[in-house]
Amino acid sequence: MSPALERPDAAELLAAARAAVLDDLLPALPEPHRLVARMVANAIGIASRRIAVNPARLAAVEARAAALTGASDEPLAALATLIRRGACDPGTDRHRATAELLAELARLRCETSAPKTLAGG
Amino acid sequence: MDDARRERLRAWLAHAAGDPALGVATAERLAGGAIQQNWGLTVRFGDGREDRWVLRTDNAATLAASHGRIEEYALLRAAHDAGVTVATPLFACPDAEVLGAPFLVMRRVDGIAAAHRVVKWEAVGGGREQAARAMGRELARIHAIRPPRQDLPFLGTPPDDPCLAFCEAQERALDAARDPHPILEWGLRHLRRTAPAPLAAVLCHNDFRTGNILWTDTHLAAVLDWEFAAWGDPHADLGWLCARCWRFGNLAMEAGGVGPRAALYAGYREAGGELPDPERVAWWELAAHLRWATIALAQGERHLSGREPSLELALTPHIVPELEWHLLAEVARREALAERAA
Repeated sequence: MSPALERPDAAELLAAARAAVLDDLLPALPEPHRLVARMVANAIGIASRRIAVNPARLAAVEARAAALTGASDEPLAALATLIRRGACDPGTDRHRATAELLAELARLRCETSAPKTLAGG
Repeated sequence: MDDARRERLRAWLAHAAGDPALGVATAERLAGGAIQQNWGLTVRFGDGREDRWVLRTDNAATLAASHGRIEEYALLRAAHDAGVTVATPLFACPDAEVLGAPFLVMRRVDGIAAAHRVVKWEAVGGGREQAARAMGRELARIHAIRPPRQDLPFLGTPPDDPCLAFCEAQERALDAARDPHPILEWGLRHLRRTAPAPLAAVLCHNDFRTGNILWTDTHLAAVLDWEFAAWGDPHADLGWLCARCWRFGNLAMEAGGVGPRAALYAGYREAGGELPDPERVAWWELAAHLRWATIALAQGERHLSGREPSLELALTPHIVPELEWHLLAEVARREALAERAA
């Protein structure tokens, strides 16, 4: 984190904003607006987790996709195309590595969008 | 609704109902419906009687796959005539001049549809067992509607192979998405490889799930939201209802988080449906995860494109990773089973 910019940083501000929505606003709101307040808190939560994703993990997933597909440009699109063509089906050389890569990608995506899923919820 | 529109509506309804003295006593916007606007109307007839109606019309942007209100009215009529429990359809207005978009009018039915309440409600529809049976009976009556039907020309030619037609539609949906979705492709590819043999197509509701069924504590009050209906494999509706992603957290109650699967199938048989094939239903349960994911992507696109900025639409695609997680697990389970069988 650079000392050039003032604290609290983005994550800290988002956490404080989310707490204010849930703890201060939500209880005071009439029913029709409560759903909106919950959606605001949900959006802040997703955004907070998204900016916390380690870019190295994203790069590693893309690098694995590039190695699997031989496409350094847009490797996830290349992977999607190969899967659709059946080039990663059971019985092919790519099947196991593709399944493992997709499991890691699914974990990364859930950590951001749906962390409760990973906890078994 | 402003005064001018309200008067145009009153005049149109008076003409349609054959009662020049008909008045609209109240008109209130009802909650719910990402695609439609629903209005609750209280009308007063010339002789002083009152009735409560619901008017459905379109929002600005709609999902390409959904029918308009005039088609929905024809579907409601067909379902009503087949004995399906629906709100009685009253009128359809194709003229956009009256309200700005075509609309349909049906009789208002009281009940609770909200999924998170329904799945926690032990007395739903007279009790979970009875509720699941009731859903089975409704689905069997819907599936008894078979092509050809001159009153439903907008449904087009029934697909020769409904499973294959589903896979092709999902490919188009994934192609239309902004970003590649390799996990969804993985699920789609598995579905293609394991698609069951073709079955004769019947009318499928295509959104028959908790949240679209109105309940009281004694009975199933109405099957709602017919805009996705199409000719297809009857197991598609059973799979959509039973899919894990539509049980709203109440996983043990496999029929939509509402009741037991066995009671659903018993009700289905009771009303003349053929015994569901568990393999086919399982295929369609997996397919349901893929279809919900591509619908969520399309809803997100309505926000991302700037056509319809909305926090609700912006959040919807964030359901996709959870669907992918369960889809991957189910594909792995099915592949392991197939490997053991081979």
